[in-house]
Amino acid sequence: MLNVSPRQRPYETLPGLTPLGIPAVAPLPAGESDDTQRLVERFGDAILAAGMHHGQQVVYVKPEQLVALAEFAKSDPKLQYEAIVDVSSVDRSELPADGARFHAVYQLRSYARKQHLMVVCPADEGGDPEVPSLAGVYKGAIWPEREVWDLMGVRFAGHPDHRRIMMPESWPNHPLQKQVPVGGEEVPFTLTWSDPEFESFGKQVMAAESLPPVVPPGMSRENMIINMGPHHPSTHGVLRLVVELDGETVVNVDPDLGYLHSGFEKTGENKRYKDFVYYTDRMDYLSAMSNNLGYCVTVEKLLGIDIPERAERLRVIMAELQRVASHLFWLSTHALDVSGTGMALLMYATRERERILDLFEMACGARLTVGYMRIGGVSRDIPPAFLGHLEEFLRAMPIRISEYESMLTHGPLWEERLRGIGKLTRDEVINMGLTGPMLRGSGVDWDLRRDAPYSGYEKYDFKVPVFTEGDSYARYLVRMEEMRQSLRIIRQAIDNLPDGPYRVEDRKVTPPPRAELDVSMEALIHHFKLMTEGFQVPPGMYYHGIESSKGELGFFVYSDGSAKPYRLHVRGPSFNNLYAVSKMSKGAMLSDIVTNIGSIDIVLGEVDR
Amino acid sequence: MGLEEKLPEGIITTQLETLVNWSRENSTWPLLFGLACCAIEMIATGSSRHDISRYGSELFRASPRQADLMIVSGRVSNKMAPVIKRLYDQMSEPKWVIAMGICASAGGPFNNYAIVQGVDKIIPVDVYVPGCPPRPEGLLYAMDKLRAKQGKDNFRTYANLNASPAPATPEDIESLETLRQPQRA
Ligand code: SF4
Repeated sequence: MLNVSPRQRPYETLPGLTPLGIPAVAPLPAGESDDTQRLVERFGDAILAAGMHHGQQVVYVKPEQLVALAEFAKSDPKLQYEAIVDVSSVDRSELPADGARFHAVYQLRSYARKQHLMVVCPADEGGDPEVPSLAGVYKGAIWPEREVWDLMGVRFAGHPDHRRIMMPESWPNHPLQKQVPVGGEEVPFTLTWSDPEFESFGKQVMAAESLPPVVPPGMSRENMIINMGPHHPSTHGVLRLVVELDGETVVNVDPDLGYLHSGFEKTGENKRYKDFVYYTDRMDYLSAMSNNLGYCVTVEKLLGIDIPERAERLRVIMAELQRVASHLFWLSTHALDVSGTGMALLMYATRERERILDLFEMACGARLTVGYMRIGGVSRDIPPAFLGHLEEFLRAMPIRISEYESMLTHGPLWEERLRGIGKLTRDEVINMGLTGPMLRGSGVDWDLRRDAPYSGYEKYDFKVPVFTEGDSYARYLVRMEEMRQSLRIIRQAIDNLPDGPYRVEDRKVTPPPRAELDVSMEALIHHFKLMTEGFQVPPGMYYHGIESSKGELGFFVYSDGSAKPYRLHVRGPSFNNLYAVSKMSKGAMLSDIVTNIGSIDIVLGEVDR
Repeated sequence: MGLEEKLPEGIITTQLETLVNWSRENSTWPLLFGLACCAIEMIATGSSRHDISRYGSELFRASPRQADLMIVSGRVSNKMAPVIKRLYDQMSEPKWVIAMGICASAGGPFNNYAIVQGVDKIIPVDVYVPGCPPRPEGLLYAMDKLRAKQGKDNFRTYANLNASPAPATPEDIESLETLRQPQRA
């Protein structure tokens, strides 16, 4: 296989950088809540531990009772955990802790009761590690479980479609297991013409052999099977869909992911907490600010630090600007795919998007991969001219949105291509674990900014647009209204922007200002320690979801007390949302697949991670 | 000199090679093909503010048969590498490649199991653009560099190309041997 080298990079082997004596952790809950109490009463001995951990409800359950617990949690009127939002896993082999090597971690969500429950299930040892599959209870578990199998090697007994999802079928290992090296290449620090490395450097020609095509399970050769992507203009990146057609009617769709799999999670586990912020930009590159925000908030929760008011407001301004920018990009490409006015709209929407990118550039110097936020605040204060430009943008934007709507909303072509296409009912979206505009287009009144506020969103007054039709047109309306609401939030954030620090003063996470380094030895030491070692995060685990432009962007961090995350998992909203494409497209026309993909609003960097 | 003075107005003389290069420089059609974050900057280059059509390159062609230029805009994963290779093979000569961004040039921040450390390991690259992502101006500058290179092409380069005939069947394209063959004389 390509590219798998057992060598570690040199800085990781320098003495003193990986603190030994990591405490033996299995983040154990303490205390209890009504929900955990109810589960303990019902399942008794099958519950290994239950209670609150970092303010989140956690239940450890034996694998035998996992499915029963999920069924109970879903159907019990006092619990109503209707949806599964994420499945991840931890390989605990490097922890000096006893018990099962693998833990599967599930995040359940109750929309009705606004509750979140984390369920941890140790995998059965002996042969392949195995836990029972929850696919029978929640459809939304199907893809995340496949991902866990692919990357971590935990089997799911009774899974309806037990295949790899990201890596090619022939991949020799499960990359997230701790004994598998990061891979990559060792780059010589200095290179001269006489070095032997130079012989091959940059000149290797690697095998790029395709695998023979396989017909996905459930498809019949009787019909026509075509391949859409990974090089296709309207799959918004490198998504491959294998489509079974009867005439022009879609019988079956099988998405093939992983063409942009970049190993974010594995990389994250080998970077210090502070260094991973820049990687989050590159995941959902259309909403880099939201990704920054989600990651920083999660780590801050584990660290237990509160950030200054000004930083919080600045973060909200940036995240909402990013939402508008992302929706603008979605709108222009979606229109380009399905409607005749597309090219014009692409040009108009890009014009406004460029203005937002200019604002980002003023604040942090980059347009796309911003890296603006830091754990504990933002990297720098906004320049004085920023607010003036922002005001100007806020004045212009509502008129622009109306302009776009006048081009599209009642256009016969637009309505024809969107109305009634990709219909999903309320129960379906919940069961499939979809989030964001997919939920709100199908009548679920849920927005994490309002219902599980973070970063001070409870202080803002905004509406959450909800439509009940469940078709692509409803999702279009949701996103258009979201842009307007984002502008409202930004308005309020500017009006209440206080003066003060833009980053916590805690020297453990924030380097001292440059001027201090010249006069204070202590500052110098802090700076040195922070730059060489990073900061340590107390042991524990935390899942935090934020409302990014595409849906719930979740980060799951499992810390062993060192300066690097022991396990870092990202719940990409596009990944879970994309699962719906098969359901939406079955029985529709081939051309509707394009509408459906556009209407889900995917970014492949986040789908594949 | 002498001839031009005798010709009626509006007619100029030039070498055929210069004329061909001139037209290639001014209508290089890129392949409509985006990989990751850099693709977004590529789209930004193509749309309103930066307007790549000043270079005659606004026609992003979805079919490799109609494209002259492949802008590898983003990180190349191991699963994607064969696809890129095949797309490149399907483009007709003369063809050029711009490796946009540090990922396509050398793997960039992703020094790990999933990413090919530089697209030049599977296809030959003409211009590398540093940046993560390069700004649209950076890509336009790369186009300038490419034009300079196209201007220096001569017919003799292409005369020898038949030494490595285009592979005919998919099996041929994907085998290791075809990858090792020199792509250009
Ligand atoms: S070079 Fe940077 S911006 Fe471009 S694809 Fe790589 S990570 Fe993304």
